[in-house]
Amino acid sequence: MAEAASASRRWTMRMAFVTICIGVILFNLMPLETTPRRWAGPDLLLVMACAWTLRRPDYAPAFLIAMVILLADLLFQRPPGLMAALVVLACEWLKARARVMRELPFPAEWLAAALAMGAVLAGYRLVLAIFMVDQAPITLAVIQLVASILAYPVVVLFSLGFFGLRKTAPGEVDKLGHRL
Amino acid sequence: MARNRGQEEDFVTPLRRLLVGVLVLCLIGMFLVWRIDSPRVERFRAQVVDKVMPSFDWAMAPVTATVNILRDFQSYRRIHEQNQELRRELQQMKAWKEAALQLEQENARLLDLNNVRLDPRLTFVTGVVMADSGSPFRQSVLVNIGARDGILDGWAAMDGIGLVGRISGVGDATSRVILLTDTSSRIPVTIQPSGQRAMLSGDNSAVPPIEFLENPDLVRPGDRVVSSGDGGVFPAGLLVGQVAQDPGGRLRVRLAADYERLEFLRVLRHRGAEQINDPGSLIAPRLLPGGQAADALSVEVPGDG
Repeated sequence: MAEAASASRRWTMRMAFVTICIGVILFNLMPLETTPRRWAGPDLLLVMACAWTLRRPDYAPAFLIAMVILLADLLFQRPPGLMAALVVLACEWLKARARVMRELPFPAEWLAAALAMGAVLAGYRLVLAIFMVDQAPITLAVIQLVASILAYPVVVLFSLGFFGLRKTAPGEVDKLGHRL
Repeated sequence: MARNRGQEEDFVTPLRRLLVGVLVLCLIGMFLVWRIDSPRVERFRAQVVDKVMPSFDWAMAPVTATVNILRDFQSYRRIHEQNQELRRELQQMKAWKEAALQLEQENARLLDLNNVRLDPRLTFVTGVVMADSGSPFRQSVLVNIGARDGILDGWAAMDGIGLVGRISGVGDATSRVILLTDTSSRIPVTIQPSGQRAMLSGDNSAVPPIEFLENPDLVRPGDRVVSSGDGGVFPAGLLVGQVAQDPGGRLRVRLAADYERLEFLRVLRHRGAEQINDPGSLIAPRLLPGGQAADALSVEVPGDG
């Protein structure tokens, strides 16, 4: 029974991840701001992907992250696939460190997430520059990076409060008895 | 418990890593294909948008309306001042309207006297803005008209007053309008009254700069900027905005369209300007006296237009 419950919870949480991400995409798409802005909000999808990967890697599998970001790429008029590939790579990097992270305090986790987000945004601009694609001014990208880093604790708190997304305790096992 | 995460771990991890690698390669491949053969991928993007956006319209419309209502609510505080201001403006506008009517009549009379043939009137399709680009780096909106309404790529989109952008990406029921403020937008314009040609190139700011201007001395802040119709991109003579000078001395265009409130856009049906390729068989042959001049004229005319 506990096995079934844990499996169903896992799928519920995956669905929740996808739902939140689609909600974020739709909120971004609302025709509220049609004038160019001087500032940029956080890239909430990136923050979500980092936070959920660091906290519970099994709730945010690479495939789901890739699909969600790819959808965002297509809808946001970005070059399709590039951002998705970078975010998946960053999340794999974070996932490899998730086991170590759960014994460290929050600032360490925040730092890791910030590094990953910085790498994604820098890599994105770098690749676009190499392929000679038109880009927005760099100040916007920097503002977005800073906003994303600042938004990380908020997203973590939100996930903790509404979805009980805490780190796996040491020694916790999944349904097959593997250590998480 | 010691760290003996048994054999299954060693068995699962490489497989997972392989799958993720394949996934990333697929995504990067998609990016490369986009870079190499952009139109095909953009068509795919238009199809995705066409599938996704109308099905989410029911969710987005109420929230958008609510946010807008809340914003409008803030302006209720100043409603009295606004009312006074509007009355004053209305008075001025009435005077202007009177002048415009008289000018229109006069213009019509003069055109009639000269027997001038004007452009055939442009027809338009009006669409509702469904979504914006969703990112601060791109300036575009989605409108709810598409291929089924006969929209084609490259047509001009205006609000009531000025040019807003051009259609780029048409789905069956939606199409995307790249705004003039987007970094990839380049529009050929004419600056009146000096009649100089230039390019208006978006740079993700509200006032896009003018580039490739031949003689900046002839242009003053306040001059009207209209589309020039060069390259057959747009019909000529659509109002774009007014010239303004930024503190750095660079010439920019203050757009006439109200970018704060893009709700309805009219898309102009434009079948392209007719080209004259025929050298003109009725021009007198070179042998006749004065033939030299006729020949020179026939060469000059297309270049002039």
